[in-house]
Amino acid sequence: EPKSAATASTQLFHSDGGEMEPETMEIKSVSEYFTKIHIDSLLSGH
Amino acid sequence: MEVSCLELALEGERLCKLGDYRAGVSFFEAAIQVGTEDLQVLSAIYSQLGNAYFHLHDYAKALEFHRHDLTLTRTIGDLLGEAKASGNLGNTLKVLGRFDEAMVCCQRHLEIARDISDKVGQARALYNFGNVYHAKGKSICWSGAEPGDFPEDVMAALRKASEYYEANLVLVQELGDRAAQGRTYGNLGNTHYLLGNFRNAVASHEQRLLIAKEFGDRSAERRAYCNLGNAYIFLGEFEVAAEHYKRTLQLARQLKDRAVEAQACYSLGNTYTLLQDYERAIDYHLKHLIIAQDLNDRIGEGRACWSLGNAHTALGSHDQAMHFAEKHLEICRETGDRSGELTARM
Repeated sequence: EPKSAATASTQLFHSDGGEMEPETMEIKSVSEYFTKIHIDSLLSGH
Repeated sequence: MEVSCLELALEGERLCKLGDYRAGVSFFEAAIQVGTEDLQVLSAIYSQLGNAYFHLHDYAKALEFHRHDLTLTRTIGDLLGEAKASGNLGNTLKVLGRFDEAMVCCQRHLEIARDISDKVGQARALYNFGNVYHAKGKSICWSGAEPGDFPEDVMAALRKASEYYEANLVLVQELGDRAAQGRTYGNLGNTHYLLGNFRNAVASHEQRLLIAKEFGDRSAERRAYCNLGNAYIFLGEFEVAAEHYKRTLQLARQLKDRAVEAQACYSLGNTYTLLQDYERAIDYHLKHLIIAQDLNDRIGEGRACWSLGNAHTALGSHDQAMHFAEKHLEICRETGDRSGELTARM
């Protein structure tokens, strides 16, 4: 439904309820996984 | 020479880190085609593909890959991986408006994080939970109502959101994670605003602003100024609101964000209308009109014309008022805005 251009004066400032912060997505990194495996193998070798 | 799944995945990861999600997706999909026996690597590929599609706003694909990741991590008994997959799936379901399913994911994320004494994970799950309740509250129809005066189900969802944000803040303060505190203060501020607690909203957004400045994060700073402006409007402190919107406008220009620049001009025009300073209101509404025209934003253009018509009427400039009222009517007809059309005819 199209938004109306003629908005009531009290609604001029909060049509979207404020600007939100970004979502935080969980990261699974391939490079970090291999770095960890490498470090673990070095530690277990000593 | 054949390229391995791992090499393709590493290139996909590099491209996504640079923000080139489209190219990253191609490499990750090629990596899946090649295949791998290492299920941790496969989980990371699914997860990053889901995130890349999330950033590209292709939420159906994001959902598909985060689901694959969740199934895989459950199958191999990788609890931490399952927690992360649940978090990502929850965020995706939230964006799709599937709040009840999103909450199940947030709950699982939180449970695992608690079971393995992962405070960072717990904090992140609480933040996501807050976001789901906040989005749920906002999704319920509230047309015409003022902040603080929404139906009870909206208010209940917003109160839950604020509880989760407060619980998150306790943890992130303990962890000394200032970036996370900044995000939570921003969303908590918006929640207080919608609940009609404007003083609390100001206090939260002030904290958000402080942290944004610590990090030199100008986008976050701009958001905080805009949200502060909105809260001061509802406190009736229009001069203070105008100062905050002016900072929003400066930052929008520095960041070269034309849409936000237009919004800031519109807010300033409305604020000066409330201050009955119609010359300044016209100045900002004209700035808004020019940007809306540049951006081919017909709804924005219609709003600017409507506001300009009102301001000229207040100044007694009837010819100008009639000109903008006619423009407004023309745009309302074009965009099929019936209520705008009826207002314009008055």
